[in-house]
Amino acid sequence: MKEKLDLILKNGLEQIEKCVDLKALDDVRVRFLGKQGELTAILRNMKEIPAEERKNVGMLANVVREKLEKALSDKLAALEERQLEIEMEKEKVDITMPGVGVKKGALHPLTKFNNKFMDICVAMGFTVIQGPEIDTDYYNFEALNVPKNHPARDMQDSLYITDNIVLRTQTSNMQVHAMEKMKPPFKIVCPGRVYRNDDDSSHSPIFNQFEALVVDENIGLKDLMKMIDVILKKLFGEDVKMRVRPSYFPFTEPSIEIDATCQMCGGKGCSLCKGSGFSEVFGAGVVNPKVLEMSGIDSKKYSGFAFGPGIDRSVMVTNKIPNIKYLYRNDLRFLKQMR
Amino acid sequence: MKISYNWLKDFVDIDIPANDLAAKLSVSGFEVEEVIYQNEHLHDVFVGKITKIEKHPEADKLQICQVDVGDKKVQIITSATNVFEGAVVPVSLDGADLVNGVKIKPTNFRGVRSEGMFCSGEEIGIDENYIEGGGVNGILILPNDMKIGAKIEDALMLNDVVFDVSVTPNRPDCNSVIGIAREVCAIYNKPFKDVDYDFKTIGGDVKNYINVEVKTDRCPRYMAAYVEDLKLTRSPLWMRARLNAVGIKPINTIVDITNYVLIEQGQPMHAFDYDNLEGKKIVVRQAKKGEEIAVLNGNTYKLDENDMVIADSVKPVVIAGVIGGTNSCVQKETKRTVFECAVFDLKSIRLTSRKIGVMTDSSLRYSKGVYLPTPVNAIKRALNLVTKLNCGKIVSGIIDTCKVKDVKERIIHASMSKIDKILGVVIDRERVLQILNSLGVKSTLSGDNLTCVLPLYREDLECENDLAEELIRIYGYDVYNNVDGVAFENSSVTVGAYEPRLVLENNLKSQLVENGFYETLNYSLYSASACEKLLIDDERKNVIRIANPISEELSTVRTVMAHALMLDIKFNLSVGNKDLRFFESGRVYLPKELPLKELPVENNRLSVAVCEDGYDFFQLKNLLENLLLTTSVEYSLVRSTEPYLHSGVSADIITKDGKKIGYFGKIHKKVLKNYDISHDVYYAELDTDYLASLPEKKFAVKEISKFPAVERDIAVVVDESVTNGDLTHAIKSACGKVFESVELFDVYRSAQLGENKKSLAYKIRLMSEDKTLTTEEINAVINKILKSLEFRYHAKLRV
Repeated sequence: MKEKLDLILKNGLEQIEKCVDLKALDDVRVRFLGKQGELTAILRNMKEIPAEERKNVGMLANVVREKLEKALSDKLAALEERQLEIEMEKEKVDITMPGVGVKKGALHPLTKFNNKFMDICVAMGFTVIQGPEIDTDYYNFEALNVPKNHPARDMQDSLYITDNIVLRTQTSNMQVHAMEKMKPPFKIVCPGRVYRNDDDSSHSPIFNQFEALVVDENIGLKDLMKMIDVILKKLFGEDVKMRVRPSYFPFTEPSIEIDATCQMCGGKGCSLCKGSGFSEVFGAGVVNPKVLEMSGIDSKKYSGFAFGPGIDRSVMVTNKIPNIKYLYRNDLRFLKQMR
Repeated sequence: MKISYNWLKDFVDIDIPANDLAAKLSVSGFEVEEVIYQNEHLHDVFVGKITKIEKHPEADKLQICQVDVGDKKVQIITSATNVFEGAVVPVSLDGADLVNGVKIKPTNFRGVRSEGMFCSGEEIGIDENYIEGGGVNGILILPNDMKIGAKIEDALMLNDVVFDVSVTPNRPDCNSVIGIAREVCAIYNKPFKDVDYDFKTIGGDVKNYINVEVKTDRCPRYMAAYVEDLKLTRSPLWMRARLNAVGIKPINTIVDITNYVLIEQGQPMHAFDYDNLEGKKIVVRQAKKGEEIAVLNGNTYKLDENDMVIADSVKPVVIAGVIGGTNSCVQKETKRTVFECAVFDLKSIRLTSRKIGVMTDSSLRYSKGVYLPTPVNAIKRALNLVTKLNCGKIVSGIIDTCKVKDVKERIIHASMSKIDKILGVVIDRERVLQILNSLGVKSTLSGDNLTCVLPLYREDLECENDLAEELIRIYGYDVYNNVDGVAFENSSVTVGAYEPRLVLENNLKSQLVENGFYETLNYSLYSASACEKLLIDDERKNVIRIANPISEELSTVRTVMAHALMLDIKFNLSVGNKDLRFFESGRVYLPKELPLKELPVENNRLSVAVCEDGYDFFQLKNLLENLLLTTSVEYSLVRSTEPYLHSGVSADIITKDGKKIGYFGKIHKKVLKNYDISHDVYYAELDTDYLASLPEKKFAVKEISKFPAVERDIAVVVDESVTNGDLTHAIKSACGKVFESVELFDVYRSAQLGENKKSLAYKIRLMSEDKTLTTEEINAVINKILKSLEFRYHAKLRV
């Protein structure tokens, strides 16, 4: 009987090994372990085996069954895995085929730049506010220490609506609005459009500025310089170099202009920076105490600084945009490059 | 403003390279935009003397000249006809690179060697005004007394360097050589040396010759001097050289003197022909309405009471501070002159100059400001130059109408610690005093008290801030590179934030970008015809007009966003771009009344425009619904009343209280035609100011039912006029408490259904919060739905 069982085991294992698909494997299972299977037959006929052998034969038969079942399940797992491999092989795709679905669009580079700028300032404690683009002469000029007929008005050709209402020539009007509405200490930034009576190859009648104003106790030129240093590095990279030139704005004193490494040529000198390697990015200064007083802020207690870069040119150089007119032409071939 | 380096050297001992000086001026507040070297094209050009002239053996038109150029003799072939033996001429030799682009090399002319070329005035950059013969069409014949072999730039005083300096409006005193010279002194800590103001008179009394009467309050000072026996010749070369360097045409001694003083002292002057001043009188007055004057630019201007004139007893002779009249100017025949040296109200000069569109060196200076004391030295300087040039006889006395005889110097009492605070760095006290004193601000420091006596020309200095600027611009901004610390270390901590609308806008913009949209930026100014093209006939037609527009295309402020986007689409289609999905956030400007009395409402909008094959209303609707989900707005949709949208394929977004906060749909076919666009365009607009004003969206999550939902599909046939909205609303109300959702999943039309009929199929989900619904209960609800639909809309169940 033992020999018979050994033979069943040997045959069984051999046949299991030979199986190449699930059907064949199931046939083998039925042949040995099915209701009419060879091993089942032996187990079923146990009672015909003499009682003294029955125990040993039973144990032996169970061992054979376990071995066959183990072999069957191993083989089954192997065949199933193989089956999956075959199926997956059939599903293989050409990964160079295009993706399907809506393709992402893009923000305008000006918005991207403004967002970056605002993020830097908000992180430094500034509140972003916006205000009127059509404003009275008072907010755009007078309250900024530019009375009527002041020579500084020559610096900006305005677009007027009436004698007293003007398309703002600078976002600095927001300084006055902020000072009237807010109590110090405050820090504000206001990105926005400004308008000039100027339209040629290098000027556009509408462009964008970014006004920042801080009013608090103990604010001075050093705060301004240190803040601008941080901003330039965050906007243009750690390697950026900064150059300061004294300047004049009626609403700041001292007034300066800040040049930074020309982003178009990286400081080597190009047609845009007229070979200097620097391009102008900010007008800035300590708020003129007259301006504080005009808006009802005690200039003995409080001081402030303001800066206002023009944005368009920086957007142009940081994105290496070859022509400033691209910014408002809205050509999809340009916009698509901003993705 | 152009400043001559040689001229500066009259006032300050300085001899550093011009480029270094330019850089220093720039970082001290006087930006040098350009440094012009007069001799750039004059190297290798010398004064030579023609010693012998022979005919060229092979060419009739050429002459062989032997030329003495000092240390050597050269042979030059010329075709010029105005040369002669003994003539002194400019000779350009090997290496010369003339201003007209000609480069000189020795060459052979038909076998005869020529070492260089004789030059005309034009070839060395000068004209007849500069030197006699400078304008002739031939070789410039130089005066005999010139040193043979000298460099031409030295011989003709063309060795200057000119700085083009940009002077800020707060420093009108620096529109002059002395102004810039004072700055150079401060920068290099050198003493300012003034020029000579002495002059010789022939006695007599100016009052016997001329009487000045000021009849306006816009002329605080008028000074006049009288000079006779004029010699109106060319002024000396040194004076012509100075004027030429700064771009002023030399004319004759007297005119050149007035210009010289203008440039040097910053004081505009005028010289009258005394014999043309009727009544021996000068009257400063406002013009009479309609009064006319012919002036030196060749034009005649009609003036009014707002313009100031200088007149004699009969007629106006000068538009004050702007330009002189032809009727009284100094001419060749002039024998006697009156010098004018005045101060006028800057606003008055500005307005007149702008009104008549005449800008002169004089009007530019006057409109920036000439100080009350300036004429005192200026007129003396003019007389000093008359003496120096020996070009006239000066009668004693200078008329001065100024009432304030002694202009007091102003004093600022400043706090040194406040200046430190403004700067954020402490400058050594000795250096503080040294800088201020070098700027002419006589300063002393006692404890914290800084006392500054201001020179008269520094009207711009008023308080600590001004002094701080003077200190730091001379001390140098580089100091901040070397101080430690960060911004705001001595001030408050503030919390940053965005304006709510920007937060919303950025959110909406990102969603649009994810959906394939590109952001556009358009001008907020447009042509007045925009509304017409968009068929707009409501209050948005009332556009704000710009009083001084750049062009018709930019003449009004926009009241609608769609115009620019339509133009963008048209442009993009025209260059072959396809599948256009654009959005723009911007403002419309809505006047409360016209003409504008108060500021308009500025309303922020988000616009979307699509021009893409296969795009339809429902894709746009889905986009808008998703965008609006960002906000807490509750709204309903009604058929749109927007004139530029297709009335059947558009909707207005209306809030609960009836406010229209946006709209979307297909562009009206007529509008497409107006823009010459042959594709369908879909457009939407949202009022982002309104949306941002809403409270933040809040969530209150309901418990998820433990009981399963059941789905039933029904399809009903209705008339075309019945809308999906009607049916879903009815389904919902028929379901009552067990309503979970209803979704349209099919629309079907066929001949079998009949004309004007459609079948709509809905997936209805029912659910109870407290039990599992039985089949009977479900069927009862479905029956109720069908009855309700039949009752309200004659809907028939489709089987």
